Amino acid sequence: MIARHDAPPAVRPLSLSSEAPGRIRRRVRRAATGARRHPIRLTLAVLITALFVSPIYLTVVNAFKSEGAIESSPAAPPLHPTLSNLSTAINRPDQLLQLGLRNSVITVVCSVLLLIPLGSAFSFYISRKRTKPRAVILAVLSAGLMVPPQVVLLPTIRILTLLGLDHTYPGLILANISGGYFSFAVFVYVGFMRAIPDEVVEAARIDGAGSLRIWWTIIMPLVRPATATVTIFLSLWIWNDFLNPLFILGPLQGQTITTGIYLSVGQLQMNYGQLFGIMFLAGLIPVIGYLTLQKQFIAGLTAGSTK
Amino acid sequence: MQSCVRWFRSAKQDTGLGLIAGLGLLLYIVFIVAPIFMSLNSSFTDENPLESQSHFVGLANYRSMLHDTELHSTIVFTLALALGVTIMANVIGVLFAVLLNRTQLHYRVLRTLAFLPQVISGVITGFVWKTIFTEDGILNTLLTHLGVIHTPIQWLGTPHLAQLSVGIVVTWVLSGFTTVVYLAALQSIPGELYDASSIDGAGTFQQFRMITLRMVAPATTISVTISLITVLKLYDIITVLTSGGPAFSTESTAQYIVKVAFTNDQFGYASAIAIALLLMSAVIALTVTGLLRRREVDL
Repeated sequence: MIARHDAPPAVRPLSLSSEAPGRIRRRVRRAATGARRHPIRLTLAVLITALFVSPIYLTVVNAFKSEGAIESSPAAPPLHPTLSNLSTAINRPDQLLQLGLRNSVITVVCSVLLLIPLGSAFSFYISRKRTKPRAVILAVLSAGLMVPPQVVLLPTIRILTLLGLDHTYPGLILANISGGYFSFAVFVYVGFMRAIPDEVVEAARIDGAGSLRIWWTIIMPLVRPATATVTIFLSLWIWNDFLNPLFILGPLQGQTITTGIYLSVGQLQMNYGQLFGIMFLAGLIPVIGYLTLQKQFIAGLTAGSTK
Repeated sequence: MQSCVRWFRSAKQDTGLGLIAGLGLLLYIVFIVAPIFMSLNSSFTDENPLESQSHFVGLANYRSMLHDTELHSTIVFTLALALGVTIMANVIGVLFAVLLNRTQLHYRVLRTLAFLPQVISGVITGFVWKTIFTEDGILNTLLTHLGVIHTPIQWLGTPHLAQLSVGIVVTWVLSGFTTVVYLAALQSIPGELYDASSIDGAGTFQQFRMITLRMVAPATTISVTISLITVLKLYDIITVLTSGGPAFSTESTAQYIVKVAFTNDQFGYASAIAIALLLMSAVIALTVTGLLRRREVDL
């Protein structure tokens, strides 16, 4: 049976237990001690998870092994750990990782810092409008989540060229803050802002606060979980973005971490040790970010999927 | 008079916020809505970045799509990949979520690990899996050590195996996401349903089919729709893993658009395919969402 509760379930009505007392008591006891009585379940869960994360495990262990050790036993833990792969990755003459990290951080921070106020102000504005125009606007915005980036890529580059911003960071950031990311921010914020009672806004209005002030000093602190969700997911997506930086920035403006890895690792033959070293270091920041913020990550996904 | 003053004051109160909100909407229109119409417009021309003038060619681009065998094979592959990966990732997601749906520490650690593939960029995912699948890669080394195979298997070198490999990698990435979505849904199922059904004598499988699968229906809608959309616009993983090869067998429509635009310099034709992909995605997403929503209501 699927034992649902780790705590003993509530006592059942007597009339039921009179039908089959032994069976029910057995079930209750089994549910209460489910974990200890089912080591198979835990073993199975551990084995499947291990298989599932094995590519990540391989990256981590092989980043610390010599080329010979990788080739002879790729799955073994590093028995003679070496830091040479990591130091080769860091000391590359093209400074792939350092420049990539710098450029990615600039892009992510600027994009998210602009998306948060734009998205939340827009959401606050429309969440107080009548339902019909709001539904229309949200429908138009939902298209932003669905449109494949390849569809808007060429025109976006043409518009940026018109503005003199093609192949620049401001151009890339502008493309980031206005695409599907904006839609995502609005959807999350509107979900949270609808839950705020109108009286809160009314009271502030009577006290003489303008909309701008209400939004910034009253609404924003109330929707902090939404801001956390938006910040986390947008940072991750913009950090991992590939198509936009590849074609909007172009090769001359330096690379973000993703395009940098793609262009330099893809072009020359590289031994496995170096490759794993680079992948390990490049993946470190998002993974550490996820592990420290995992509660908010999961909470964000949960909120998003139940709305 | 009174109401006039109030109206004026409220308009003034709204200006600052309205400006920021308006700016957000303006950017969205300039960079999403306008580009869609610009693509639509280009799709009726022979636009080419090497030539300054472009001409209206009517439906010629759409007509050449009918005879473009490479395009057809990318569409077939993209649809097959979307279907296969969506089914696999959601089946794995539900089962994995049921398995991990406990509150003890071990299970929480395993849950944390399950979402990890979602966090890593497609480029890194592609390269790591490439070292696994490539001819002298980790998978072949392990299989040789274990004595399962004697000559290396060409995971990425033969069309069908390469397609399978791409499917495995994309399923791997999406399964982390679907697992977390289904876990969230499982936690909202009231435990009384299981208690009541076990008193009625329902077995594990019956409970799974009659309670679990039905109660996670809203999560299925979200999870399936997002899986489909993700695969339909997939670009980075395939580009790194196989670059669409061998012999275009793993080329997605999204990749083909970029190739036609930037390698073949046929902006007009690329726009026509992009519009077709957009329509295809919209129809699929709306149909599937509609069907799954109806299933939610049927409960």
